[in-house]
Amino acid sequence: MKKILLFMVLGAFLLTGAILSAEEKKAADTDYDEDTYGPEAPIVWTKPVESVVFQHKTHTMDAGLDCDSCHDDIFVMEAGAAQENEDFTMASLYEGNYCGSCHDGSTAFASDTRCTTCHIGVRGHARMIGGDSKEGGEEGHH
Amino acid sequence: MKIDELEQLESEDLSTITSTERRKFLKMGLAITGLYLGGSVLSLTTVRSAHASSGVVPEPGQYPYNPHYSMVIREKLCIDCERCKAACVETNSVPEYGFRTTILERRRALTAGEHETTFMPVLCNHCNRPPCVRVCPTTATWKDKETGIVVMNPSRCIGCKTCMTACPYNARYFKEEIRAVDKCNFCYDTRLSKGKKDTACVEACPADVRIFGNLADTESRVFKLIHAPDTMVWVLRPETGALPNVYYINA
Amino acid sequence: MNSLLAAVLPQEGGLEVPVSGKYNVAIGLMGLLTVVGVAAGIHSLWAGHEHTFGVSREVPWGMLIAAYVFFVVTSTGLCIVSSIGHVFGFANFNPIAKRAVFLSIATIVSGFLVIAFEIENSWRMPVNNVIGANPTSNIWWMGTLYGAYLFFMMIEFIMLQLENHKIATAFGLMGLLTGVVAHSNLGAVFGLLNGREFWHGPYMPIYFITSAAMSGCVAIIFFTYLAYQFNGWKMSESMRESMASVAKFGALMMAVIIFFTSWKMITGVTGNPPGKYEAMQALLSGDYATNFWIGEVALGMIIPFIIILAVKGRSMNALFVASLAGMIGIFFMRYDLVIVGQLVPHYHGMGLVDYPDLLTYVPSLHENLVVLGGIGFCGLLFLMGEKLFRGHLSEDH
Repeated sequence: MKKILLFMVLGAFLLTGAILSAEEKKAADTDYDEDTYGPEAPIVWTKPVESVVFQHKTHTMDAGLDCDSCHDDIFVMEAGAAQENEDFTMASLYEGNYCGSCHDGSTAFASDTRCTTCHIGVRGHARMIGGDSKEGGEEGHH
Repeated sequence: MKIDELEQLESEDLSTITSTERRKFLKMGLAITGLYLGGSVLSLTTVRSAHASSGVVPEPGQYPYNPHYSMVIREKLCIDCERCKAACVETNSVPEYGFRTTILERRRALTAGEHETTFMPVLCNHCNRPPCVRVCPTTATWKDKETGIVVMNPSRCIGCKTCMTACPYNARYFKEEIRAVDKCNFCYDTRLSKGKKDTACVEACPADVRIFGNLADTESRVFKLIHAPDTMVWVLRPETGALPNVYYINA
Repeated sequence: MNSLLAAVLPQEGGLEVPVSGKYNVAIGLMGLLTVVGVAAGIHSLWAGHEHTFGVSREVPWGMLIAAYVFFVVTSTGLCIVSSIGHVFGFANFNPIAKRAVFLSIATIVSGFLVIAFEIENSWRMPVNNVIGANPTSNIWWMGTLYGAYLFFMMIEFIMLQLENHKIATAFGLMGLLTGVVAHSNLGAVFGLLNGREFWHGPYMPIYFITSAAMSGCVAIIFFTYLAYQFNGWKMSESMRESMASVAKFGALMMAVIIFFTSWKMITGVTGNPPGKYEAMQALLSGDYATNFWIGEVALGMIIPFIIILAVKGRSMNALFVASLAGMIGIFFMRYDLVIVGQLVPHYHGMGLVDYPDLLTYVPSLHENLVVLGGIGFCGLLFLMGEKLFRGHLSEDH
């Protein structure tokens, strides 16, 4: 009897949890407006190093920036175009260019800290595009 | 034996023991009991407790080789661009199914549902007490007497793969092309012996994550990094007793 | 040479293997298995294990190592069982002794056949083991000691055939001592690896010797019954007595193994010791639970133990069933021991992403064929031994 009770309580918990998280997700999806907040798909730069990610959502919807906060002064509209520039480097960021305009330690976290927040690496990129994470090192068996 | 002869014999009682001898004996007893009771806490003598034999970073001057090659990994700077892997593959002709070094990924929860990722480069740790070397039946792998690098002689390898099971770091793989186990040798044959000062992975790293050098040299960067104040230094799987020479730091 | 052979091979007396189609079919079948296994092994050496075996850099030891361990455990066990009568003079164990000595040679040779294909450059071994001898390596000792063991057992067997019991006993004792050292050393191959928590510790060498004794009892019952049944021989009263004694000794060893295994599992799960716990869970409730509960526990321990006790070692048919279950169960024990010991990945418990909790290994076709080849070769030697040595009968002495 006790066991059944336990299962019922647990089940109820899990169920509500599932419903709640589903609702949250739905809300997030419908609230996001690409015209206001920019493309929902993340921008990924693969040069000069693999790979760096940028999420419009974090910067616009969550942080409250407008399109013209960055476009076209800091970044051109074309997604991922910055990586073709010679000066798209960390050194340049430290001088206040590109991401470094805000990521200077006062407006937002400095660009020489928290590297892996943006640098998702080869592994992160592979995961994002749904490739196998074969680079994982330990695959067990092939 | 007569009484007077007996009297002439040297006494065997405690009175003839010099005080230094007595002290030494007592110390020995205390050291032993202390050791058994859990070390220096209960012992009245030190039992060499000042000697940091259990720490991962040796005392300066205690590095057994010269050059004592090692690598320091400034882990939090790694961005997993994997240029090190590519450089290693090219320099050491590593086949597609193998690797000498790779990047692992660790995750830690932050507040507000966020996560922090740390990329963790791994390679052969060139241990001071290498389990792979101990288990090799044919001494096809050994610790180089001069540099401390754990090297392989492919033609001596019988392919029993015991070194692969013994290695706590997954640093070894069987390379079919040479019919022998292959592993990182700090680019000894491909670079160091040709006068270069670092390994291919170190040269390729854009973020200065991997620092290679001689720990026996107190002026070297590796030495300074792991002996710097306010630095957290750790090694992987210290519990295996292998005494690795790849150090990880948070600075 | 011919005269030695003539002296070693009994020309008359003993039990004759009747010339029959059945015998030829059995020989042919075992021979075929051997040939196929050897062919698969040679092909895998040629093509490389990377392409033909299920092993990987993380799980470098596969089913061939398990089969090798199985064969040498059985060999050591047969040597132990034979020595009880021959060396220590318990007359009750004499009737099975000659066959046991022969089979201990047959099983270890089969083990060598299997491991020759597991070691990728086995041909380099004879020279490199000498010029590169490493006395800290358990694998080096393993090769050296098992080599010596095989030599001693062969001399013992020849001396037994020549009826030179004094020398046979001496070599039997040397074979036993070398075998015990070699075999506990084989346990130490696993037990001395600090990085593999499931294996590490004093348990392995102790367990190996005990389970060898158990395997030896099971194997001699299995093969003796087969020989008599297959050839239609009638078991003498002393042979039945002997089988009963062996069975009871085997049951005792099973009880010890049950005891050992229980505590191994309990210490492996209590307090969740890192690295060990995950492997234990794989055995108790994970991917290897069927192997463990059905293979190891039911077939390898409980069923044979209960059968032997139930019939008090008297019914030969029942003993055969017990020994068959035991042989299969023991193979599972070796397989689980070798494979599960490698399944916990190196950097476990560090919170790694895209990193397996437990590795996997599935034996490939090649590996299965080589193991079958080893079994076939062992069967072949057994069949030939029965014929050449006329039922391995030993006179009372």
